[in-house]
Order: sequence, then C-alpha cells, then structure tokens
Amino acid sequence: MGVDVLPVSNAGYLIAAYVVTAVILVGYAVVLWRRYKRANRE
Amino acid sequence: MGEFLGAALAVAAKDLRVERRSKTALVSALAFAVLTLVIFNFARDAASLSRSAMAPSVLWITFAFSGVIALNRSFALERENAALDGLLMAPVSRAALFLGKYLANLAFVFTVEAVALPLFVVFFGVDLRGAVGGIILVAVLATAGFVAVGTVFASMTVRTRFAELMLPLLLLPFMLPPVTWAVQATARLLSDRPASEIAGWIRLLGLYDLVFITACLLVFPSLMDE
Amino acid sequence: MPDTVAARRIASRGLVLIALGLVALAGIYLLALGFTPVERFQGLPQKIFYVHVPAAWCALLAFSLTGIASGLYLWLRDPRLDRFAESTASVGLMFSIIMLTTGPLWGKPVWGTWWEWDARLTFTLILFFLFLGYRALRTALVDPEERARFSAVVGILGLVLVPFVHLTVYLFRTVHPQPIVLKPSEPSLPWDMLRTLLASLAVFTVLLIGFVMTRYGLGNGEDRGNRDNREKGDGNGR
Repeated sequence: MGVDVLPVSNAGYLIAAYVVTAVILVGYAVVLWRRYKRANRE
Repeated sequence: MGEFLGAALAVAAKDLRVERRSKTALVSALAFAVLTLVIFNFARDAASLSRSAMAPSVLWITFAFSGVIALNRSFALERENAALDGLLMAPVSRAALFLGKYLANLAFVFTVEAVALPLFVVFFGVDLRGAVGGIILVAVLATAGFVAVGTVFASMTVRTRFAELMLPLLLLPFMLPPVTWAVQATARLLSDRPASEIAGWIRLLGLYDLVFITACLLVFPSLMDE
Repeated sequence: MPDTVAARRIASRGLVLIALGLVALAGIYLLALGFTPVERFQGLPQKIFYVHVPAAWCALLAFSLTGIASGLYLWLRDPRLDRFAESTASVGLMFSIIMLTTGPLWGKPVWGTWWEWDARLTFTLILFFLFLGYRALRTALVDPEERARFSAVVGILGLVLVPFVHLTVYLFRTVHPQPIVLKPSEPSLPWDMLRTLLASLAVFTVLLIGFVMTRYGLGNGEDRGNRDNREKGDGNGR
C-alpha cells in the first residue's frame, strides 16, 4: 500500500475529518435515540 | 389584462406614496450607499489593489446591500398600516398584489442605484465610456431578479420576530448567482471586452429573471391564504 | 399526521437503519484507511474524499427531497409532506455541516488554503445557508399551517435555485477537483478507489434514509399538542 513518504502532519487532517464526521453522525443518532426512548416512555 | 395591471399599479402607487411622505428609508439607503463607497475607497491598499480591480465588486456590494435595506423598509409599511388585510378585502388578485409590491420595491431600489452609480463613477474614477448602457442593463436585470425573491420573502418574514435578520438570511443564497454574474459582466464591461464575452452573462441574468419572477408569481398566492 | 403507533414504527425502523449504517461506516473507515491506495499527489488527506463526497451527495439529495416535498405540499397541502420536508431539511443540514467541515480539512493540506471561493465550495455554502434559513424560518413561525406553507415556499424556491448555482459552477475555473467520477466517459478513478467511494456512498445513503425515517417518525417538537415543554426543549436540538 505505502507509496511516497508523506509528512506525518498531514495525517492529522485526515484523522480530524474522519473523527468529526463520526462524531456528528453518532451524535445526531444519539440525540434521536434519546428522543425515541423518551417518547416511548410516555 | 388592463385591469390586472391597473390593480398592480394601484398597489405600487400606494406603497410608494407612503414612502414619499416619510422619505426616511430612501435617505438611509442612500446614505448607506455613499458610506459603502467611501469606506471601500479608504479601506483598500492602494499599492496592491487598483481601483479598477475592485470597482465591479464594490459597485455590486453597494447595490446588493441597498437592495436589502430597501426590502426591509417594506416591513415598517406593513406593520403600521395593517395594509395587507385592507388590500385583501379589495378585489385585487393576489398576482396583482405581488406585482404591485414588486414594482414598488423595484422603484425604490432602482432609485438608490441610480444615485449610487454616478457617485461610484466619481469616487472610483471609472471611465464608463461606451459601457454605460451595458452596466445599466446588467444592473436592471440582476436587481429585478433578487428583488422578486426578496418581495416574496419580505412578505413572509414580516410576521416573524427577527424580520430584519431573517430576510437577509433567506435572501442571501438567492442573491449570490445574480450578483456574481453581474460582477463578472460589469468587470468585462469596464475593461472594454468584446460584446460576445458579455452576452453570456446577460443571457444568464435574463434567464434567472424569467424563471424566478414566474416562480414568485406562482408561489406568492400561497402566502396569502386564509 | 401519521398516528403515533405507525410513527413509532417508522422511527424504530429508522433507528435500526442508523445503527446498521454506523456499523457499516466503521467498516468503510477500515476500508478507506487500510485497504485503499494512497493517492500519489495528495497523499493521506485525499482519503477525506471518501467521507466528503458522500456527505455532499447526501446533502444535495436531502435538499432535493425537501424541495420536491415542499412543492408537493403547496399543491396537495398534506401535512405529512410538510413533516417529511422538515425531516429531510434537518438531516440535510447535518450532512452539509459534515461537508463544510471535511471540505476545508481536505483543502488545507492539499491546496494550502482552508477556503477557496471557487464555485463548488460556494455552492456548498449556499446549500448550508438554504438549510439554515429554512430552519430559522420554521423556528420563527408559530402557526403550524402557516409555517408549513411558508417554509414550503422557501423549499421550492431553493430547489429552483440549485440549477443556477450548478451553472455557476461550470462557468468558473475552479481549484476544486474536476468531476472525475460522474463524467460521461469512464470514470478515471482506479477501481480500488472507486469501490471504496461507492461503498461509502451506499453507507451514507443508508444513514440518510435511517435518519430521515427516524426524524419523521419522531416528529420535530415543533408543535406537540399535549406534550409538555420538556420534549419541545429537546425537539429543536438538531
């Protein structure tokens, strides 16, 4: 897989992007899940 | 058809008559235009940015913001008169109502632009030469486009709490294409480019107007439902 | 309005889809990071492509759905259409936030700048503002019928706007990567990258459907009738 030597710092952007995406998606899912549970409790 | 136009003009006339009495909105829009032009002139770095490079953008920033201010002024109008209900009682079709408001807004914005343009020429030392006609055409087309959408949004947002904020927020995406194209066309007009380069932008502006004025006409009645 | 039992069922199925989608997303991450070649010129950050493009695709899709539902609502006046439009707008807003954050994170290492006023990036910003404006308007209107009507107007006008923004994209020279996948000719993306992208697109689409279903089933807390304010407080949370 490995190709040329790349500056390590660039990996930071990649990680940041993947983390942000995951956080937003999971976060929204959690919000919806909690509302669902609350709605079902009533 | 004649009746339709007559109704629309009556609506427009009523709007403008109130405006003529107060004059405050027109004056503030003009003051704003002047202020913008002055600030831009002093805010640029003379060494790196020539006046002519900035000119089209500055002109259109001025026009765009003045347009939004002009549309905002219609709020005061609506609120003070409860005009809308009065109008709906009268046998005015909703399409005519839209047209009337649209024309009134256009008249207002065009007035501001008509004053701002000569000022712009003076402040920016722009050599208009043969470009005047083209610039006016571009201005008319682009303005006609976003004022149409603005008229619809103004009617919607007048009932909301943060109307003066809501209107620009909603209108911004709709202003970007026509203003962007207008800047492109104006830049080319000012650099004396051949007409073939400019025609495309003008066609786009015309298309935008056609599509959106029609869409707004179709959609406006939904705002007036009981 | 869908009755509560049916609504709950839609929501629960939506949640299942979301769960599946999130698990699959982990798989995509693994695929993109471990089993997809590193692009020669852009290096590692290019892999952001595998989340950025699907997010953009979902945002655009969601927006189109909002627009279509808005138009249909103005025609048919069915409140379910309004509810659907609100759901897609909400979910679309989320995807456009992903798009707007991953975009600059990709741009900075590759082009040297966080933002570039090129047409495509401007388009993403416009989309974001349309979603935001739609939502802001809804928040500001109290009467449900008026809210549905007015936001539908914004929705349909927004949909009419999109082709014009597209036009602007193609009229400007841009730093944004030229379309390499959706070209009429064969996509010039090598297969191992293409398959990762397609897989990611599929997963994101599943997530989109799941989120919209859940949101639709749960409602949005805009008007809750008998429900207490506790629900309403959370309702506008996303």
